[in-house]
Amino acid sequence: MRSLLSFLPLIVPSVLVSATEYHEQLNLRPLPLSALLASFNFRANTSIADFEAQNFRLFPRSLGQILQYAGTRELHLRFTLGRWDAESWGTRPWDGTKEGGTGVELWAWLDAETDQEADEKWLTLTNALSGLFCASLNFIDGTRTIRPVVSFQPEGDHPNTTLDNTRLLHGVLPHEVVCTENLTPFLKMLPCKGKAGIASLLDGHKLFDASFQSMAIDVRPICPSEGECVLQLEQTVDMVLDVDRSKRPHDNPIPRPPPGRDLICDTSKPYHKPDDACFPVDHLRGQEWTLSQIFGRTMKGTCPLTDSETPPVCVHIPSTRDIFSSEGAHEIKYPNNDSLRCYHIEQEKEFTLILTKPEVPADGEVASLGIVKPETPVLYAERSFTGHGQEHGGVQAILTNPGDDTVEFVYMESLPWFMRVYLHTLSARISGSSPNTNTTTEIVKQIYYRPALDRARGTQLELLVSIPPHCTVFLTYDFEKSILRYTEYPPDANRGFDVAAAVITTLEPKAMNIRTTSLLLYLPTPDFSMPYNVIIFTSTTIALAFGGLYNILVRRMVGANEAPSGALKDKVLGFINKLKKKKTAVAAVAAGGSVTPATGKTEAK
Amino acid sequence: MPRLLSTALSLRRDPRLLKIPPYISAFCIAIGVVWLLLLPLDDYSRRTYVSENALLPGQVHTYFGGSEQSIFRAFRHEVDLLASKNNFEVNDKLESILTGFGVKVGRQNYTYHSAGEIYSGENVYGILQAPRGDATEAIVLVAAWKSIDEQLNRNGVALVLTLARYFKRWSLWSKDIILLLPPDSTTGTQAWVDAYHDAHDSKYIAPLPLKSGALQGALAIDYPFEHRYHELHIIYDGTNGQLPNLDLINSIVNIAGGQMGIETTVQQMAGHTDSYQDRLQTMLRGMLYQGLGYPTGPHSSFIPYHVDAITLQPAGEGWHDEMAMGRVVEGSFRSLNNLLEHLHQSFFFYLLMQKNRFVSIGTYLPSAMLVAANFTIMAIFLWVKSGQPIAKREATDKPKGDISEGKGVSTTTPSSPPTVERNLLSPLALVATCHSISAIPLFVFNHLGIKTLPLAFLLFSVSSTALPAVFSFVITSVQKPTAQFFQLTKSFSLLILGVSLATLSTLNFSLAFLVGLLASPLTFIQPTKNLVTRLFLVVLLILTSPPVVISSAAWTSGVTMSEVLKAASLGWNVWGMYTPIIIWCVWWPAWLIGTTNTLSSTLKL
Repeated sequence: MRSLLSFLPLIVPSVLVSATEYHEQLNLRPLPLSALLASFNFRANTSIADFEAQNFRLFPRSLGQILQYAGTRELHLRFTLGRWDAESWGTRPWDGTKEGGTGVELWAWLDAETDQEADEKWLTLTNALSGLFCASLNFIDGTRTIRPVVSFQPEGDHPNTTLDNTRLLHGVLPHEVVCTENLTPFLKMLPCKGKAGIASLLDGHKLFDASFQSMAIDVRPICPSEGECVLQLEQTVDMVLDVDRSKRPHDNPIPRPPPGRDLICDTSKPYHKPDDACFPVDHLRGQEWTLSQIFGRTMKGTCPLTDSETPPVCVHIPSTRDIFSSEGAHEIKYPNNDSLRCYHIEQEKEFTLILTKPEVPADGEVASLGIVKPETPVLYAERSFTGHGQEHGGVQAILTNPGDDTVEFVYMESLPWFMRVYLHTLSARISGSSPNTNTTTEIVKQIYYRPALDRARGTQLELLVSIPPHCTVFLTYDFEKSILRYTEYPPDANRGFDVAAAVITTLEPKAMNIRTTSLLLYLPTPDFSMPYNVIIFTSTTIALAFGGLYNILVRRMVGANEAPSGALKDKVLGFINKLKKKKTAVAAVAAGGSVTPATGKTEAK
Repeated sequence: MPRLLSTALSLRRDPRLLKIPPYISAFCIAIGVVWLLLLPLDDYSRRTYVSENALLPGQVHTYFGGSEQSIFRAFRHEVDLLASKNNFEVNDKLESILTGFGVKVGRQNYTYHSAGEIYSGENVYGILQAPRGDATEAIVLVAAWKSIDEQLNRNGVALVLTLARYFKRWSLWSKDIILLLPPDSTTGTQAWVDAYHDAHDSKYIAPLPLKSGALQGALAIDYPFEHRYHELHIIYDGTNGQLPNLDLINSIVNIAGGQMGIETTVQQMAGHTDSYQDRLQTMLRGMLYQGLGYPTGPHSSFIPYHVDAITLQPAGEGWHDEMAMGRVVEGSFRSLNNLLEHLHQSFFFYLLMQKNRFVSIGTYLPSAMLVAANFTIMAIFLWVKSGQPIAKREATDKPKGDISEGKGVSTTTPSSPPTVERNLLSPLALVATCHSISAIPLFVFNHLGIKTLPLAFLLFSVSSTALPAVFSFVITSVQKPTAQFFQLTKSFSLLILGVSLATLSTLNFSLAFLVGLLASPLTFIQPTKNLVTRLFLVVLLILTSPPVVISSAAWTSGVTMSEVLKAASLGWNVWGMYTPIIIWCVWWPAWLIGTTNTLSSTLKL
């Protein structure tokens, strides 16, 4: 991906010159085993003055007004589906900075003096974006919002005075399924609305059939050293298509077994016999596609608003491979990077590319398969649950540094409140060392932890970790599963609860982002079905029957007249008798003298 | 109510009441057995039905076939070529084939020690990542290199490889598919499943290098032979008699029968005519396997972790081929793939009488509960009886009655049965001793080597028979045992037995029922002066003693004692089978106490 980055400066200087500009570019990069990475990048600038005067041209008004209303300084919104297979696909596109965890991820710097004000603005922002992007962003409530401390830094240029008065909030919806209803508003924000230019290739059927796909929206102010500040809106779509799958026709997508003669067999096998035994070697075939095949449609010229300097389509493929483009397109080759080819396209013409079958490689050259070898990423990260049962669990993150430099990064987790983390069990262990040696303090340099509050907010955990070269670190911690109130369970309670991906931000040797996969957490779930009721009713009946039976067996029953006199009743009766006796005595006295009022009262009783 | 109470109270004092419990006990056992025999009738068993709507079994077209057969044959040739190779060479080849499809491959070493033997091997498994999935859920396809009958699982392994390649082409998977190829059907899967849930002993079992999400279901293929088959045998018993969700079995029966036209059988009942005898036989076989608690196939290891799993085993001579088997697996995986929640509906406790007929726990549980209750009833009866003076009862009762009549209503104490003081120490000591020495056979049989095991069993059987005589001699020499002593020891021992079996019957119905039935003579053993009766009782007790029952069961089923002991030890050491605890720590002490009582009464006289 370094080649992609080295290519980026071609665009960036031109960006900084002009205030109001629009660029778009599609980068195609074949990956091993019939995977193809397509990175769409759309970038629109507007000057801050225009933006504040509500003078929208390339910047979409719908989004602009939301940002103004919610006092948003910088916004990052991600829709992601699938997982990036770092082992075979190498470094992530844009170094992982333009992708989120599975589902929807949103973080923004909001103008706010206090945390409370930030929360109010955040609520406004999430609800407004929810409507704009047809996503359940309004479900990002207090329990899913965290305030990262070290993981995220503003990407734009903010004056220090404004930055002091902003608050960073971050929310994730791991269970949100990204689909076409999110793509349509995304395309609507583009100046050419997906009708022309590279955006015309974006078809929901192909995009959401991809093995990995990520849509990103970034809004940030950029202040060049000279010239006025601009507000930049960058929209990115990265998708990894499966070429074989994408090439299937729209109306017949079922992968039926191919006819026997179409199989690619290893004829050197002794048992090989056509139509009888065929050892498949189609993974050695190499890629072969046309642009219209894999995207299901042709590209309709270029967007008239785009900057004419930037070539709209680029392919990263060794120069030995043959690519044919449609008429009128102009191929550019770069002397410093011979595996990159870009194409300038005429505005009104349809454009297509044809990548032909690689030449049959000589023996021993099979491995290359005519693609640029993916670069090894700085860090591999994998996270999974450990343990079983309904009470306790553990999380294990396996972080591998394949390179020669020490990698330093921030590991951030945003966990739901019903996953009660035991921070004292947090341990980091370098592979090879025995589980008992405690190397946690050497690996984990710093911990930022904000504990969860039941039903109010989730756990926020940020760790500053450094891994020596060629080492694997096992980061583990235990947690307790809490029992929810029965109305808090979703309708599909037995599915489990999604736990958002961990965000890894590397600081050394270079800045990049990695997100792990999300997790599915099983909580103790009551059986919301008939047997549950039966058990409850049976238990109640047994309890009642037991009570009665126990009474019969143990309690002594005697007739009322047989019983020894009850204590309280006796006392009362004795008291009354006493009074009666007194009364007669008093009456006797009264016959001879005066009656005191007190005794009169007693009489009245 | 008061009248009811007074009737009950007057009944309580009735001496006739004390004669009833032994009859109730006998009645409970009889009802329990008859209840079980009634279950196969149409009125007491139910037809199966698919409870989970998401499964939609047999609702999809299956496309596995056509040219896939050539590929299958090629893989079978590859498997044949590997037949003579060792575990690691086999895994190298399997790994290279799986990597070719783009499947991530991991390997895991494990070593188990049991009965002085070492069971070690290396599992190889691949994770076919769901396109667009997020590693939150997974389903497992298992084919052990060696089948349940220790043959080369030729078709099974080849089918899994072919299916992996075929599944890879589909984009509809919502869950990862894990392809597990353990070297054998017994220990390999256990090591893998334990490590997957981090419940493994890391000294002997390696952790898994690759993991996916929560396992939702598992299907094992046991297909060693070449010829065409007639029916699919569904093996469903898990370790310790735990069963998979009935919906899984129903779905497979539905897919195989309804869609593919393949007969399905359970419990090796080929040619089931749906008659009473066949149903009863199926049920009893199921109960026997459940009662033994021994794993029946590679799927068994999954069930303790609440992963529903079954093994499919083609059987008989017919016209179905391996492609049909592949389509059954495809259909089942499509059904499992549809699941939104973990399988939680339908039944986890059931007895199958036929592939589509079952009784649920509510219907069958009373039979085991009644058998267990007979011990408790007898224990309570003996407790009450032990508190009553034996000889002097009539003498003391009479004058008391006279007094109460004379004094009339003025008597304050009700005429509750007079009690004598119970001497608890020595009975408790005997019961505690018997239960604590039960740890000896448990330890010995699970830790000795295979060479010494048969000898140890022989020695144990002899000493187990001699032990009651020794105990009774010790008892008589220490103190002269009274009738109360016998009543109390028997009461305590039966109380423990009754409570343990009642609890067990909810976990493993069959084991509780079988042990309850075999221990039922203990209820009716009474000290007797008749020499013939006494002799008869002793013979009966020796015949129903655990060692004699085990060896005669082994003899009838044609396995040697050393095989039984080896298997039991393996079950304990590898799968955590708790049947030995029930036999040695619940049943055997109860038997020991019963026999000691019988013999002591002889010595006393």
